[in-house]
Amino acid sequence: MYATANMLLTSSQAHAAEQSQETAIEVVLVKAVLDGDRDGFTRLYDLYAPLVHGILLARVPRAEVDDLVQDIFLHAFKKLHTLRDSSSFGPWIAMIARNRAVDFYRRSRETVEINDELRGSNTQDSRAAEILELIRNLPEAYRETLVLRLVEGMTGPEIAARTGLTAASVRVNLHRGMKLLREQIGFMEGL
Amino acid sequence: MNDDYLWDKTGKPDPQIQQLEEILGALRYQPKPLEIPKDVSLPQRKNYFPWLAIAIAATVLLTILAGGIWLRVRTRDNTPKHEAQVGPPPRVEEKAPLPVDPKPDSRETVVAVNKHRSRSSAPVLSKQEREEALQAKEQLMLALRVTTEKLSLVHKKTQITNPANQIKNQHRVG
Repeated sequence: MYATANMLLTSSQAHAAEQSQETAIEVVLVKAVLDGDRDGFTRLYDLYAPLVHGILLARVPRAEVDDLVQDIFLHAFKKLHTLRDSSSFGPWIAMIARNRAVDFYRRSRETVEINDELRGSNTQDSRAAEILELIRNLPEAYRETLVLRLVEGMTGPEIAARTGLTAASVRVNLHRGMKLLREQIGFMEGL
Repeated sequence: MNDDYLWDKTGKPDPQIQQLEEILGALRYQPKPLEIPKDVSLPQRKNYFPWLAIAIAATVLLTILAGGIWLRVRTRDNTPKHEAQVGPPPRVEEKAPLPVDPKPDSRETVVAVNKHRSRSSAPVLSKQEREEALQAKEQLMLALRVTTEKLSLVHKKTQITNPANQIKNQHRVG
């Protein structure tokens, strides 16, 4: 079972057309973990960490993201038995990540300074932090999709499959979000 | 704007999107090993069996109880026996003296009891008894309905249902 999952995992990352295989991987890995295979969860982590990272990056300070990713997967490990549909692991952990981002601001509303946290040491990082800040100022519907596409390098079909959103929604969010981002970048460079 | 490239990285690349990908790629996830403390145990599947067993046991018990009540009401032997009473024969005026019968009239009261009839046919109930029986029947039906609902609920909980929409509070965007 594990070997099969490993094989599927390697092949699924190649192309968006293999999304159905990715769902099969989720099912196999979730069942393996529930049957006592701890390493199966490491595979799930490898597969879904970029998604969780992207969701958090669109919402919380960059310095907090890595720790939160670990926390979220640890929480998911403890609560995996509550997941009813094994093929919905992606949407499930995406929901946990969004909720954790909300909790983060509830707990530390007064102390977070996003702009300062995002400033990088070199020019490239600084430029990246500025654009990320622009993305974060876009309507919520577009932030996450744009970060997953432009930062994490996922394709639209991959974003749809992993987040549980419809392909049409993702496509619209990408298109409109990109249009707004172009306007924002043009406005910023015009100053 | 080249939508295909933005959508699935096919078609003619959009230079501005490529530039954004290059710049923002610096923030991309850097793989780090997952650290799960050893004292954190593996999750266990939820076991619905005890609930199912309790529900089935409760159903059987309830059915037996209700059935017992129903049978008791039905078979309560309160029905009056059908008796045919024959009174003393009409006296015939003795106009002429008849020979005196030395035997006493042993058939003065004849009672005929039809024992088989009460077994084979439906009992005749009084109005009050009929109301009681109907009330018991209603209670039985209600108990069975409640039991059926509970069993249905347990069945739903034990089954994996509606896999397309398991995630609650999912933020649908767009």
